[in-house]
Amino acid sequence: MTRTAETLRTANAPAPIISARDVGKIFGGGSVVALQGASFDVAQGSFVSLVGPSGCGKSTLLRLIAGLIERTSGSLSVHGRDITGPHTDVGLMFQKATLLDWRTALENVLLPTEIARTPTAEDKRRAFDLLKMVGLGDFAFSFPSQLSGGMQQRVALARLLQTGADVLLLDEPFGALDEFTRERLNVELMRIVAEVRATTVFVTHNIVEAIFLADQVVVMSPRPGRISAIIDVPFERPRTLSLQTSVEFNRIVEEVRTTLGEH
Amino acid sequence: MTAGADRAPALRRAATHAAIFLSLIAAWEVGAQAGWLDPLFFPAPSAILASFWRIYVVQMNIWPHLGVSLGLVFAGFAIGSILGVGLGAVVGLNALVRRFLQPYVIVMEATPRIAVAPLIIAAVGFGAQSKIAIIMLVCFFAPFINTLSGVVNVNEDRLQLFRSMGASKWQILRKLVLPDAVPVIMAGERLALTAALSGVLVAEFIQRDQGIGALILTYTRNLNMPSAFACIFTLTAIGFAIFKGMEILDRRVAFWTNEEGLRRVGLARAAAHATLAGGRHG
Repeated sequence: MTRTAETLRTANAPAPIISARDVGKIFGGGSVVALQGASFDVAQGSFVSLVGPSGCGKSTLLRLIAGLIERTSGSLSVHGRDITGPHTDVGLMFQKATLLDWRTALENVLLPTEIARTPTAEDKRRAFDLLKMVGLGDFAFSFPSQLSGGMQQRVALARLLQTGADVLLLDEPFGALDEFTRERLNVELMRIVAEVRATTVFVTHNIVEAIFLADQVVVMSPRPGRISAIIDVPFERPRTLSLQTSVEFNRIVEEVRTTLGEH
Repeated sequence: MTAGADRAPALRRAATHAAIFLSLIAAWEVGAQAGWLDPLFFPAPSAILASFWRIYVVQMNIWPHLGVSLGLVFAGFAIGSILGVGLGAVVGLNALVRRFLQPYVIVMEATPRIAVAPLIIAAVGFGAQSKIAIIMLVCFFAPFINTLSGVVNVNEDRLQLFRSMGASKWQILRKLVLPDAVPVIMAGERLALTAALSGVLVAEFIQRDQGIGALILTYTRNLNMPSAFACIFTLTAIGFAIFKGMEILDRRVAFWTNEEGLRRVGLARAAAHATLAGGRHG
């Protein structure tokens, strides 16, 4: 199942959406190697998890793809365009919902549109529909402080979809939530990204979550941060939580664990 | 039902407070009448009440002084706090300016502003301008420092989010940095307006031509303590009104910091988008 980065492409997929070759990032004038020689492709519509312990460079890699930080070596492109700075081809979501406290859920979802242009009635309708999609149709006029942590992340997800970006970059989006809420939101996330046909990169340190969601799991190791294996997850979609108890699933969990343990 | 259950203890509490307050006043009155209290420091409450009646109703001589003082307070506060917020934003948003200005700000903050008052009069001369200048000075710093720290302490994740949405610097300022700083700016304004009241008194103690500060000086010099106390209690009432007024304003402007504000604005926003929400059921 372990393959080299270059062959990570599903059989029927055309050019990859995200393409990384030997990407490296050094912080602090050469003192900290956050990422070294990362190469991988993400195919159109696929779901890729980046998994690994703290300091393995998974969040760094995500921010490099978003153009929020500059790489120090290698080449990196989204939609075939070289990344030189922040760009609107991708939508971001963090562990904290980072909603604006003075805006209603609906106004928070509308923010990306407002930044691009003056929102139309159609934009507002779409934002409202997205809130319904994440199960918050009744909370459109609630403020973030009136919502639970899980609900706040749903609003952040709706906002992410409102950007219209077809590449979603998620950095431990449900990491701060309790186990039950997280499992439920993971199932919903799978449904939603399939519905909008998004390409997704999902950062987590939870192995089960990483495998359950993904088509490919990119296993990363620290000091220096690098990719140690890319593992295919062949299960059919839609998936249900019961998948996690299957023998094949747990064989992949073991494979990821072993890969992490080697380093 | 909860309101009804809360009302009885609240009433009892209010009654207790009133009883304690009235007992204190009565003890003071008895003490003053019996000659146990020095009338120079503790004039009888009845004498203070009589002074209130005289200076407000009979002679009506407090009104022009009150008008002058309040006019100065609001003029000085308006100019000082607008300058404070404006310069605080400019300095806070410009890292280079901030670095070079920082030591001066710290030194100025450590200096009691009141100490500079006589110098201001020497520089600007006697009259309303120098009084306003003194009030401006005492009003400037709280909004300045608060605005500065408010615009500097922006959440890094939020900033990255705005950048990834392609937001311009102006959009980041208008949609993220400034609204985020509103609660702390409002806290600065509250401090400033309270300081303005002290500022006007200092200015009027130095230039004792008119105003409530000058009036207190005059009464005290004439050993008319009941009238001086009437002026002081007037200031107590004004100070309290300012505090309450700013609290209400604060809760309305930074509505997202309190439950009641969230509910009020949430309802208003829902009403403004009635067609959108209504479509959900249709």
